[in-house]
Amino acid sequence: MATTTLTPAASRYSALYSWLTTTDHKKIGIMYVVNSFIFFFIGGLLALGVRTELAQPGLQFVTAATYNELFTMHATFMIFLFVIPMLAGFGNYVVPLQIGAPDMAFPRVNALSLWMLPLAGILLLLGFVTGGTAAAGWTSYAPLSEDRPLAAVGAGQDLWIVALVLIGTSSILGAINFLVTIFKMRAPGMTLFRMPIMVWTVLVTSVLVLMATPVITSALIMLFIDRNYGGAFFDPSRGGDAILYQNIFWFYSHPAVYVMILPAMGMVSEILPVFSRKPLFGYKAFIFATAAIGALGFSVWAHHMFTTGAVYLPFFSIMTFLIAIPTGVKMFNWVFTMWRGQLMLKTPLLFAIGFLTMFLIGGINGAFSASVPVDFALHDTYWVVAHLHYVLFGGSVFGVMGGFYYWFPKMTGRMMNETVGKVQFAVMFIGFNMTFFPMHELGLAGMPRRIADYSSTAGWNDLNLVATIGGFTIAFSMLLFLWNVFLSLRSGPVAGDDPWEGNTLEWATTSPPPAYNFDHLPEIRSERPVFDARWGRVAEH
Amino acid sequence: MTTYDDLPVEHNPLASMPHDSHGGISNPVLGMLLFITSEVMFFGGLFAAYFNIRANAAQWPPINPSATPPAPFHLQVLPVQIVDGNPSYSFVLIATLLLILSSFSCQIGVWAIRRDDRTGFIRAMVITVILGIVFLLMQLTDYAILGNEGLTLSSGTYGTTYYTLTGFHGAHVFGGVIMLSVVLYRGMVGQFSSKHYDAVEGASLYWHFVDVVWILLFSLLYLLPGKTPAV
Amino acid sequence: MSSSRRSRSRETAVFALAVGALIIGVSLILLFYGANVLKAGNEILTGLYPPIAVTTQGAEVRNLYTVIFLIAVAIFLVVEGLIIWTVIRYRRKPGDVTLPPQTHGNNIAEFVWTVVPTIIVIFMFIVSWQTLNSVDVSSSSAQTKIRAVAGQFQWTFEYLDQTGTKVEYTEFQSLVAKGGGMYVPAGRTVQLQLFVSPKDVIHAFYVPQFLFKRDVVPGRTTSFDFTVDAADAGQTFRGQCAELCGTLHSTMLFDVKAVTAPEFDTWLAGKVAEANATPAPAPSGAVGETVHISASGIKYEQTDVSAKAGAPFQIEFENKDAGTPHNVSIHQGSPTGTEVFQGAIFNGVATKDYEVKALDAGTYSFVCTVHPTMIGTLTVK
Repeated sequence: MATTTLTPAASRYSALYSWLTTTDHKKIGIMYVVNSFIFFFIGGLLALGVRTELAQPGLQFVTAATYNELFTMHATFMIFLFVIPMLAGFGNYVVPLQIGAPDMAFPRVNALSLWMLPLAGILLLLGFVTGGTAAAGWTSYAPLSEDRPLAAVGAGQDLWIVALVLIGTSSILGAINFLVTIFKMRAPGMTLFRMPIMVWTVLVTSVLVLMATPVITSALIMLFIDRNYGGAFFDPSRGGDAILYQNIFWFYSHPAVYVMILPAMGMVSEILPVFSRKPLFGYKAFIFATAAIGALGFSVWAHHMFTTGAVYLPFFSIMTFLIAIPTGVKMFNWVFTMWRGQLMLKTPLLFAIGFLTMFLIGGINGAFSASVPVDFALHDTYWVVAHLHYVLFGGSVFGVMGGFYYWFPKMTGRMMNETVGKVQFAVMFIGFNMTFFPMHELGLAGMPRRIADYSSTAGWNDLNLVATIGGFTIAFSMLLFLWNVFLSLRSGPVAGDDPWEGNTLEWATTSPPPAYNFDHLPEIRSERPVFDARWGRVAEH
Repeated sequence: MTTYDDLPVEHNPLASMPHDSHGGISNPVLGMLLFITSEVMFFGGLFAAYFNIRANAAQWPPINPSATPPAPFHLQVLPVQIVDGNPSYSFVLIATLLLILSSFSCQIGVWAIRRDDRTGFIRAMVITVILGIVFLLMQLTDYAILGNEGLTLSSGTYGTTYYTLTGFHGAHVFGGVIMLSVVLYRGMVGQFSSKHYDAVEGASLYWHFVDVVWILLFSLLYLLPGKTPAV
Repeated sequence: MSSSRRSRSRETAVFALAVGALIIGVSLILLFYGANVLKAGNEILTGLYPPIAVTTQGAEVRNLYTVIFLIAVAIFLVVEGLIIWTVIRYRRKPGDVTLPPQTHGNNIAEFVWTVVPTIIVIFMFIVSWQTLNSVDVSSSSAQTKIRAVAGQFQWTFEYLDQTGTKVEYTEFQSLVAKGGGMYVPAGRTVQLQLFVSPKDVIHAFYVPQFLFKRDVVPGRTTSFDFTVDAADAGQTFRGQCAELCGTLHSTMLFDVKAVTAPEFDTWLAGKVAEANATPAPAPSGAVGETVHISASGIKYEQTDVSAKAGAPFQIEFENKDAGTPHNVSIHQGSPTGTEVFQGAIFNGVATKDYEVKALDAGTYSFVCTVHPTMIGTLTVK
């Protein structure tokens, strides 16, 4: 359905200035995505550093101290400057469009949230040139991360703390923005139970961010006080408690993993119905499952601490097992969305299927860790590295890739190259499994996490080499991705308003949309207003 | 070039943006409530640390090594007490009462602007801001007194938790004073009326929150009885 | 957006190419594991299993693993199979012009796939809990009690008396295996206590063949029981610290040597007798100068000391770190140079005198054998 846009007034500002000072959620969303990809590449390079060192036994390329910095910063960049902001960025772009709003509730706060991120990233990177970054793991356990003689954590750890507090503040402000936008700015007819699942996942995610992130802020501040002002919060030699840090830290960091997956699940829930030409199976069940995951997510944090001997094991074990149930409900609903559909195997759908197949593995191997005695064997080994990458890469990254291919036409007005996209998917899928599947075996065989080197007689050589080759394969697939982006921006075919025959409101306006988003909105009588309008079920206006 | 005025009103996208609360609370007030929720969780983390450290300690408050003779740290509640023949001062009780009073004055200000009483609103806000500043000054004085007695951030778990909890609360009071001052200024230049006072409501909600946190903190740190190990 | 016929056949070609590459890749991997695919399959399956346990507790965990593994494989095959089948079966065909049936959901299906997983999950929890209750035990009636002391970046093993409080013999696990390690009696229940100095960091005691690990947390003492199978007497199991503890975390290895129970008792009695035997008193008088070295906060308090060349001298070593083992060892040149002297390791707070033989003039380093980052310079002239 063709729309016309109002011609924008000729701007007396340069394009760069307009981007730097914009409060338009679409531009901000795109900058979030670009910023997140930059840090994805930095985090990826750090991962290649880790994998290069581990390919063979012996310390060939870096010192043990530098190695500790590599994996610490890899995880820090990936979690705090890639996954979480990437999903916030897509939410920023998509949510106001999908609810028929002209922008977010607080556009200037939105811009503030964005610009805190590159600043935080620079602070983190500064560690590399000021004598060493944080090196106590992204979990930064006390007392190692405190002022210990042999901790080898210098001022970089303080830069790390400040950067994370900045990022946390950015997240919390973003969450407030999303919640007010979703509750108060929906178009007429868009009741809560007609919102797209993407919006629902952003809603639940924002509740998690709002309530959990401040807790890690408090932990980081207490750590900072211990490190710099002689505090005794986590210093066992002065009455403090090392386990206290872990409890406060994980109280945030466990809900954080749901922050990292729920919007990606939302993206998959948008892609599957469009590319199956059927509605999402079990829309309401989806919403309840999402809310259940959010709520249960606050009750499982100590399953990261089973081996400390300091937690009430049965409670956290049963809650961890229970959280598999709403996740399973979603999995079945996704599969039955495709069931008896007409699947269009374009790149967005391929990545969504990749999400389903790989996140399933991540969920299954997580169940092993939920069983406490098995966790005694698997905790802090490469099994956990396998699990976390299957859910975060196989889950979140594949979801983000799918979402990127899906919404790129809307954001830029051009289609991405399908052939390159399919090849990128295949190479990424193979590389990902080659990197992380062997880690199940490595963990079972006894290879602990966070070791710079391993004994050549332990029997881990071959699998580590395979994992490293896989890592470089993933890197190659990302080069293909970059090439596709530049190719498509330059000469991709024009997309038009609705290249995928979408269901939701963002496809009811031009690609890219005008600054004010919509000239007119179709009638909203279900969770698929554009679908309804296309097939004549409602008036199109 | 068309403008928004040329679009038919029922399709004007701006009409869907709530300009004032013709359906529930306004955007800024909802935003402030959510922000306060996040602040509650932040203090929750700090409180959790305090409870944990306190529970692990056999002796609470711990012994003050710089006291002669060594005796447990003591936070004095009453304004004046005679200790060993010398008067000992503590401003905390007066400060607490003043902060509670400031919540009342703040709410009086909100009620005033709701009925378009701009003068009453400004007067109430001035009182609130002054009371807030006095609270902060009294807190700082108490810090100086306690510091002289040997209680500092680095003097052990008691000092660390006391100064972190009260310090961050003080920082929030300071932020609240700034917020109220901005609201006061905006009121003085005539930006608020009975139809337009979201910022006042938001700032007052934040100020009440700061007051409630203090009442909890004061009770926890000053009033909750300590414990000694069984002999 | 319809694609042209030419690009659709190109897409199919790319798809076929990708599938072909996948098949070739998998075949290469199978080839790499050896032409015998069955052997490779068995290896893969064994790879997905933890090692054979050498303790009774570990064996129970391995049985639990089997239960969970079977459930996991079943779920994987069913769901993954469903996904793959759906993707293949329901691809859009050229004749599909009208919409497929727009099924919105099915409440019975929702009920089924909520209740059935709940039952499976509760079953897994119950069997896990039962195993936990027999694995996570620490009984004070264990016949042998050992304490593993962690530190940056070494392990020390203390063999305790029956009450579990008095240390009868301490053995330190050196970085380069010189015959050190934790001796344990096979067939007998051992209570292992874990301790680390409150000034140190968190470590973890992990033996893969026990299928068990436990954190060593400063400020807390944890303990657990294990019983090495009698049949495994004579074997050595490798162990490693499994909680990031700093730069040399990956070198914090240890061995567990299982011997028969009588062998263990004899060995321990011998070691205790050796330790109790008073050493020959040092020749009185000409002892030479005394160099004072002290350790505090896992650092030497002196960075530079000096001694006279060509005459024996005494080091008065004061260990100020409570409960933490230190010593002074002297190396030629750099801390990793040839070791010319190693003093006895002992826990603080205590002071010991070391008698050092005459050294040639030159620069030496003194290093703590337990904490290799504690270094200083000794100038002999």
